[in-house]
Amino acid sequence: MNAGRYKDSLKNADRELDADAAASARPDLKDPNVVLSLLEADQVVAAKQQTRFGRRSLSFGVRLAMWSLRVYVIVMFVIVVISVLRALHGGG
Amino acid sequence: MAAPEKTSTSAYQAAQPTTELASRSAAGRQLIGLLTHEDLDRARDRWRVARARWTGRSWKSLGGLRVLWLLMGPGVLVFLGENDAPSMLSYSADGARYGIGFFVPFVILTFVMGFIVQEMTVRLGAVTHRGHAELIFDRFGKFWGMFSTFDLMLGNFLTLVAEFIGIRAGLSFFGIRPGIAVGGALVLVLAVITTGRYWTWERITMGLAIFNGLFIPAALLAHPDWPVVGHALATWTPLPLGDRPQIALLVLSTIGATVTPWMLFFQQSAVVDKGMQPRDISAGRLDTLLGTVLAAVFGIAAILATVPLFHHGINAADFEYAQFAQALVPWIGHIGAALFALGMFEAGIVAAIAISTSSAYAFGEVFGTAHSLNRPLREAWPFYVILVGSACAAALLVLVPHAPLEFIALTVNVIAVLAMPPALFFLLLLVNDRELMGEHANTFWQNFAGVAVTILLVCAGLGFGIATVYPRILGG
Repeated sequence: MNAGRYKDSLKNADRELDADAAASARPDLKDPNVVLSLLEADQVVAAKQQTRFGRRSLSFGVRLAMWSLRVYVIVMFVIVVISVLRALHGGG
Repeated sequence: MAAPEKTSTSAYQAAQPTTELASRSAAGRQLIGLLTHEDLDRARDRWRVARARWTGRSWKSLGGLRVLWLLMGPGVLVFLGENDAPSMLSYSADGARYGIGFFVPFVILTFVMGFIVQEMTVRLGAVTHRGHAELIFDRFGKFWGMFSTFDLMLGNFLTLVAEFIGIRAGLSFFGIRPGIAVGGALVLVLAVITTGRYWTWERITMGLAIFNGLFIPAALLAHPDWPVVGHALATWTPLPLGDRPQIALLVLSTIGATVTPWMLFFQQSAVVDKGMQPRDISAGRLDTLLGTVLAAVFGIAAILATVPLFHHGINAADFEYAQFAQALVPWIGHIGAALFALGMFEAGIVAAIAISTSSAYAFGEVFGTAHSLNRPLREAWPFYVILVGSACAAALLVLVPHAPLEFIALTVNVIAVLAMPPALFFLLLLVNDRELMGEHANTFWQNFAGVAVTILLVCAGLGFGIATVYPRILGG
């Protein structure tokens, strides 16, 4: 299903869902079909547990940026410690 | 351990089958037998939203408000939660040390940055139905996931400690002993989560969060000079003068009062727990915008409330939480100071609830255990153990004699800012991942804004580093 048709199908499903919801004073949540009709399929806890998003491939540039930012954080943490020690000891 | 690779279908397609398919297919029939309490509660919430949308068609404006009321929560909570004790301390220090000037518009800028960042988490949560930690582990693997989670957990714990320092200090204004103040706050955190329902938890916490507005009457009692406020907003002047490293620290601390890693993780998890769907993204944006505006107004109110200390030359350099309220008594009166102290207490308690929940969400997402406020204790006990345990540990540390509380209070916002660029980089990668986000991936301008915020935070961190290591370069 392409993205456009998928979007349309969702809109139609939304309209039907809204109409159903308006018609019923309170949904019968003992009926599993009612629960499933109110949730998107991958909102169901069991579905989420069964479906994991796979790893994405990382380009060299992305990995380089990740490592650079990691080094940045470590260096900055050291500087914070220096700064706080100075402040606590009144060294300005 | 890498997350298992999916089959030939894209992650987006595989994760987005229609409800009809789910209920008719074999997999859907299997799901019927596996529905949890969490699913039922979420379905109930979705029904209320669907009903409000339907009835709102004939009463468009009121119906729209009802839909917004049902869908608001994560955005308001994350921003009012981030107006926490150390943040209000930073704003108070801005006002007391530099008066009305640069920091008033600067705070607004930080909230604009906060909105840009948090809006992305709304889309990520609504489209993928996964928390932030879970997505990082799934898409980038355990190695980067552990780094990210370590940053979050460390930052969250330090911030939680700072919240309890704020709670203790805020109530000390009323003569309440530290043990009673901290113990009482802990009981409140426990009481809120015993509801076993995300919706109830959210509404109670929002009810508490609105008391962040106590800083407004405190500010009004300080009789702000409105033309000067307007001039500061228009010109960003006068600029702060004096000890440059201290100014750099305060600038960084003020940014850290608005843009922090826990906010990313919390809001995305809350959006997922609330059950928001792609068609709720507009409401999620409005919710985030409302939270941004409220928090910015309350933050500026804290600055304005402490400006009398600046005008009367009171040295607020070493002030801690309650000392601001005590020092303000001669200028805004006992009532104003009491409101200020109560605001500090509220800031601590709401943040303690939100941050401990953020840690529990992340733990559950990383270790694959149940992680929802819609789950009863028996089904999700690790989630509740982390939530309560982190709050208890922070509370106990605050009561330990000679614990390095000053160290924690000084560093918490700064650490948050320094840990933010890697978190933002992961966020930008995720929200540009078309396999996950489909049509909801970032546009060019959203990327432009997101990258600009990241670069600004890196530059702010580097400026702080230079000012600390080589103070003479900046004339400090």
